[in-house]
Amino acid sequence: MAYGAQTDLAERSAFSVFWNRFVAVVRLSPTAAIGLFIIGVFGLLAFLAPWIMPHDPVAAYTDRVLQAPSAEHWFGTDGNGMDVFSRVIYGARFGFGIAIPAVLLSLAIGVPVGLIAGYRGGYLDEILMRFFDGLRVFPSIILALAVVAATGQSLFNVILVLGLLDSPVFARVVRAEVLALRSSNFVESAVAAGNPTWRILFVHLLPNAIQGAMAQTAVRAAWAVRISATLAFLGVGIQAPTPEWGAMIRQGAEFMVSGQWWVAVYPGLALIFMVFGLNLFGDGLQDLMDPRRRAAK
Amino acid sequence: MSQPVLTVRGLCKRFPAGGDRFVNAVNHVDLSIARGETLGMVGESGSGKSTLGRVILRLSEPTRGSIEFDGQDITKMPKGRVRPLRRDMQMVFQDPWSALNPRMRIRDLIGEPLKLHMRLSRSERDDRIEALARRVNLSNAYLNRTPANLSGGQLQRVCIARAIATEPKLIVLDEPTSSLDLSVRAGILELLNEICRESRAALLFISHDLGTVRMISDRIAVLYLGEVVEQGRAEALFENPSHPYTQALLSAHLPADPMVKVNRHVLEGEVPSPIALPSGCKFHTRCPVAIDRCRSDVPEVHQVPTGQHARCLRIPDGGNIYHRKQTA
Amino acid sequence: MTLLAVKDLHTHFVSRDADNRVRVAKALNGVSFSLDAGRTLGIVGETGAGKSLTAQSVVGLLRPPARIVSGSVIFEGQELTNMPAAELNDLRGGDIAMVVQNPRTSLDPLTRVGEQLVRLHQVHTGGPQALSQQRALEMMEAVGIPDPLSRARSWPHELSGGMAQRVLLAMALMNDPKLLIADEPTTGLDVTVQAQILDLLRDLTAQFNMATMMITHDLGVVAHFCDDIAVMFAGSIVESGPVPDVFAEPAHPYTRSLINATPERFRMGEKRTLGGQPPDLYNLPLGCTLQSRCTYASDTCKATVPNVEIAPGHLALCHFAGQLAEKQPVKDQASRNHA
Repeated sequence: MAYGAQTDLAERSAFSVFWNRFVAVVRLSPTAAIGLFIIGVFGLLAFLAPWIMPHDPVAAYTDRVLQAPSAEHWFGTDGNGMDVFSRVIYGARFGFGIAIPAVLLSLAIGVPVGLIAGYRGGYLDEILMRFFDGLRVFPSIILALAVVAATGQSLFNVILVLGLLDSPVFARVVRAEVLALRSSNFVESAVAAGNPTWRILFVHLLPNAIQGAMAQTAVRAAWAVRISATLAFLGVGIQAPTPEWGAMIRQGAEFMVSGQWWVAVYPGLALIFMVFGLNLFGDGLQDLMDPRRRAAK
Repeated sequence: MSQPVLTVRGLCKRFPAGGDRFVNAVNHVDLSIARGETLGMVGESGSGKSTLGRVILRLSEPTRGSIEFDGQDITKMPKGRVRPLRRDMQMVFQDPWSALNPRMRIRDLIGEPLKLHMRLSRSERDDRIEALARRVNLSNAYLNRTPANLSGGQLQRVCIARAIATEPKLIVLDEPTSSLDLSVRAGILELLNEICRESRAALLFISHDLGTVRMISDRIAVLYLGEVVEQGRAEALFENPSHPYTQALLSAHLPADPMVKVNRHVLEGEVPSPIALPSGCKFHTRCPVAIDRCRSDVPEVHQVPTGQHARCLRIPDGGNIYHRKQTA
Repeated sequence: MTLLAVKDLHTHFVSRDADNRVRVAKALNGVSFSLDAGRTLGIVGETGAGKSLTAQSVVGLLRPPARIVSGSVIFEGQELTNMPAAELNDLRGGDIAMVVQNPRTSLDPLTRVGEQLVRLHQVHTGGPQALSQQRALEMMEAVGIPDPLSRARSWPHELSGGMAQRVLLAMALMNDPKLLIADEPTTGLDVTVQAQILDLLRDLTAQFNMATMMITHDLGVVAHFCDDIAVMFAGSIVESGPVPDVFAEPAHPYTRSLINATPERFRMGEKRTLGGQPPDLYNLPLGCTLQSRCTYASDTCKATVPNVEIAPGHLALCHFAGQLAEKQPVKDQASRNHA
């Protein structure tokens, strides 16, 4: 019985509560903890970039083009003579700077659409969901390429396109939750009490239907990081010499054959680790938020 | 008797069941409830009793018939106009664990109808919420908790507080005690009984348990396959059940006392599917006193000497009575 | 002869909370009872009292985090609590059969009903297939399934709730069990169907000279279908004895309140109900588990609690067993209803 649980917590110090929770999370899902650690490191790098970077990421040392890693330039220098280490660190800012707003935008579009489609059902549901299915049918990278190419190459457009393209994921998850909740007793009880539709949707359904969508956010952020890097690698969206990992890999790719591997490999590794960290955390998050998956472990 | 709060005439509800088949959940139901009166609605699962309660409150759309609430015909009223009326018609559900939004505090759950239907200042509302909690014997300490921290009996008290918050004229109670433990159940019935006496609201009490219904009802309606087979004053119906189904239901009830000898007449078979309703009298497939005519003729409603109205062909010839209650 | 004897059984749930602290729920606290062949024992109690857990402990179907901490279960002279899993498996479905609530979810949805009966017989006895089939038809007939031959070919989803419960009963009888454990066998069924199944259970118990352990929350079922009653509260049997004795003279305040809360005894306005929270199994008080809800409780109840034999075979776990009629409630009732 959980009746006593609340009073108990207040008696202990905030730190011990936090620490016990932390230990419990690590025990329940070690993968989530590792993922969170990796994301944390990248977050710290992104936040502290101006203080950690040994060089200006876009300062071209024309006399030191394509130097191998050394004590001065840990990750070497690229074709413009820029410090790869500083650029990789600064690149973390682009990773977060694109992924976070893109996921927020997806949530902002997908969640209300999923709520309304799931609750109303019928034709409205059919139309909205078919439209969203249509978005999902195209390979997202090609669609993103086309849209960014057509609307103009800017960071803002990349975020807009990613956010829009990924909103069906959240709409689906929320819709599925709402379909299950729609006929539940507490929703009917809310109708019987005289709640208007908007209150049913946003006061009663939303808080109970959002969990699945929240569990998806980290995995979708990983997707956004990957796709935005791919776009940059293909030369769409963010352009060199902006220190974005995808753009850096594109630039470094041409030097791979001639043996200057460090230009592409270091941003590539950073990209791999960040996507890996987000995915690990995302998987763990889904486990933690879904009691059924938790029980299966 | 005063002007009824609720009058239902010829009410039908059917759900599509694939193809051109339908589940006939409610079939031509007539009933009325007056102010301050409690009508007990008894039936087994599949008798359509829950559907009936939901249709009456327009939580489900009626197929045919009319519902008159507080002098207004609400059968076809647009949803937007029904909503303000919900202040006067509330509902309590069977399973208190799932009937409350798990993310809301008890305070907000009780206060929700007040917020929706009455213009009150924040402090007025808080006062009302606390008074309601006291009314249903719920300690104020629980008001800031969420439903997961309360027991079933406490949650049902919250549901009741919610239902009486706006002092409604009609409360539909759909099996409000059947998912609760025995000792908790008695307390909830006690509470409902008090509320019924002091508020003068009309109560529709839906249950499958005859013992419970008897404790609280003034009148009782017995439902079989979506049809009211017998309706009348509670004592009369219990003492002299006139429809064969009512008799069977009463004899199947097991009093919690080994000294009371029950003369049990176990019905054969199970309730037929509401998709393919039996012809004639719907009870003829299980009826111990059915005659050939019951298969073809739809019985009319007869009044019996003890006052109830029952739907049975054999009332005029007296063949409807097959079961006499026995007490040791 | 005593078929099943349970002595001082303790079952605990050991788990960790969100803060990673070990928590122990004392779910069964010294449960003892015995059961003779041909008799039906009704175990009653409210949600969480430990009724089903008692049954699961007896047949070794506990799943972690629940486990038996101490006590013994002796079935036909054999100790079950430390019996190897394989032997226990032979016993279950053989000499010990179970019928559970929700009959439809207890049948394999992808196997015809008759085949399920035959398989169960084969697993335990081997022998020719034809013999098992013959037995299956006999048992289906015994539980009152009309036209067993064609019913044996139907799928579980084609059965109504009552019919599915009959099939489960037939299944339980396949291997001539000596002990039948029926866990809320009629809870999901309609009143009129419930009567059919209960009649059947009683007849079968007599016909096959089984012992039946019937778990229920319905005192009406116990009053009319059981020989003995055991009332559970917070993991203990607070009162047990022959049904007529216990109903006529309930010796424990909890039994009293339960019986008084039934529609037959309950009168509006008397306020005789026990209010209050179910006890916290993680944090049971010393002495009587009912002390905080009991109107008769005195200081002695906070220390120990004796098992008093009021009449032969009629036991109650209470200092005041057998004296309740003369005794006045100590505390104000109204203050306790504020739960």
